[in-house]
Amino acid sequence: MIMSKSQKVPVSDNIAENQRYLKEHVGVGVSFDVGFRQIKVLKKDVDIYYLTGLCDTSFIIEIVKKLVEINDFESNHRKVKEIIHNRLVHQQVEEVKTMDEAVDQLLSGLIVIFIDGVKEAFIVDVRHYPGRSPQEPDTEKVVRGSRDGYTENIIENTALTRRRIRDERLRVEITKVGERSKTDIVFMYVQDVADQGLVDLVKQEIENIEIDGISMADKTVEEFLVSQGYNPFPMVRYTERPDVAAAHLLEGHVIILVDTSPSMIITPTTYFHHVQHAEEYRESPAAGTFVRWVRFLGIMASIFLLPIWLMFVMDPTLLPKGLEFIGPTEEGNVPIVAQIILADIGIEFLRMAAIHTPTPLSTAMGLIAAVLIGQIAIDVGLFMPEVILYVSISAIGAFATPSYELGVANKMTRLVLILAVAFYGVKGLVIGCTLYVLFLASRRSLNTPYLWPLIPFDPKGMFQILFRVSVPLTKRRPSIVRPKNNHRQP
Amino acid sequence: MSEEKMEQNQREKPMSLLQKSLVTGFIGGLLWSLLGSLAYYFNFSEVSHASFTLRSFWQNQWTNGFSGEIFSMLIIGVLSILAAYIYYLVLKKREGMLPGILYGVAIWFLFMYFLNPMFSAVPILSEMTMDTIITTVCLHVLYGTFIGYSISFEHKSLEDMKKEREEKSSQNA
Repeated sequence: MIMSKSQKVPVSDNIAENQRYLKEHVGVGVSFDVGFRQIKVLKKDVDIYYLTGLCDTSFIIEIVKKLVEINDFESNHRKVKEIIHNRLVHQQVEEVKTMDEAVDQLLSGLIVIFIDGVKEAFIVDVRHYPGRSPQEPDTEKVVRGSRDGYTENIIENTALTRRRIRDERLRVEITKVGERSKTDIVFMYVQDVADQGLVDLVKQEIENIEIDGISMADKTVEEFLVSQGYNPFPMVRYTERPDVAAAHLLEGHVIILVDTSPSMIITPTTYFHHVQHAEEYRESPAAGTFVRWVRFLGIMASIFLLPIWLMFVMDPTLLPKGLEFIGPTEEGNVPIVAQIILADIGIEFLRMAAIHTPTPLSTAMGLIAAVLIGQIAIDVGLFMPEVILYVSISAIGAFATPSYELGVANKMTRLVLILAVAFYGVKGLVIGCTLYVLFLASRRSLNTPYLWPLIPFDPKGMFQILFRVSVPLTKRRPSIVRPKNNHRQP
Repeated sequence: MSEEKMEQNQREKPMSLLQKSLVTGFIGGLLWSLLGSLAYYFNFSEVSHASFTLRSFWQNQWTNGFSGEIFSMLIIGVLSILAAYIYYLVLKKREGMLPGILYGVAIWFLFMYFLNPMFSAVPILSEMTMDTIITTVCLHVLYGTFIGYSISFEHKSLEDMKKEREEKSSQNA
């Protein structure tokens, strides 16, 4: 039996033919998790194919029970198909005519029912995917407010979002990506708010993805979407919080959900989307603003503190009156630049180790790293105490960056700036910072300038970034997403 | 409470391109002159904007200090409205960042080279340190980008919106 792959094979009315097809293509009998059960209904063979693990057994038992009961109540042999269709006790029953469709559905966890002498197969959605229930995401904790988070199940995720926006105009479109993995991708938007151009662009970019499988889910989709190259800065924002996603939907963003990942992609995003946190919106506007400014300070420190300090160490004449105490009092054995870079890399070791170390061991690891290495490195004369201080402050600043990706990118920027200062002093720092800003300003994420609302400047947008404005006063949606409908309060 | 009095019911009007350009100019002047003051304070640069606006004309205690810098920032902010207006008139149709960068460099040349003799508190270009030159050029580049890119981006998005509206109305007709 040789058939070209592009040809669509119809469901045969000979049940043995179908059996052979599935044996050959899906490996029934070879793969242990694909199986079938044959029953007789009105003297005809009926095969029920299933994929153990992805379907709910109790539903299948119920369906089989009803099908077998047909023999007790019905006698019209000519209407077997209609009778079986009627007796499939489930709200999602579909009829398919080709084997390809049937196989696709079977491998997604639905059951396929073939009837001898019938040229169609029935598909019943009895899927039950293994997964966890919604939990508060680790990276986006809040003191008050909802504690649910997205899970790995795309259906649950759409449901979690729908719970927050019951608008009839919320659109949830689904496509499949990946020749082999056939991963579901959903994109959501509010129809009369989101810019049609953006929706079309996202749709087109997703449909253009050609790959066998996207096991790394959201991250792979992101790489296809924004074609990042070697730019380390995150061009999309991720969230695992349904409330954050819903807030962005109402602002006119398009949200992309990828099956098997709890991280939603928010598009389009700018630099300043990465420095906000749900926490700020759970506090009063003044407190939220305060938190935000402190966070900005932390982020600035994570980029600029070390290069600037290094510059003052290298050239103390730059220090204005009253600040002369900055800089080490004694010369160390190792050049300061080397100390800074070593300490910075040391903290990076620590961070990586902390991710892989099991929790019971991490306390011990923290103790060794902090107390032993830190103190002894100073005693031995490898590090100056001041180096440890400033490196620690900038490391904590990086941890205070709400977006993990942005934190890492800033860390890389800092390293480049440190090297620039080490080689060229003031000139290196100034030119480095200028190039940093120009680089960010020249980036675009889905046609959106990355540094908006700073460059290009938008007074209202900038005001909203600098101050956490109270919700009743937020009357317009941000202009950067080009919303169709500007007013938040109809 | 009557409806009009509730603050959330007041609708604000969107700014026109000209208004937005002028606001951008003012804020841009404040922002980058603030950075200029910082660079002056940390001795990156021998001159600050206050050397141009104040110290060349008055040599007082206050012009050298903190209040001088603040006062000069306001002056620069106002002057910068003019710079934004000129950009709005001449260059708003140019897309991208490069025109802005060049505009900043042009302003730098104008004040540092051509108008230099007017300012007694500013040393002539050949006597400035390399640090000063690079710092001031970079500040002007960023300032020019800020003004230029903002105005041309806003101009372009307004044009796009107009085009979209026209397309829509032609479709309806």
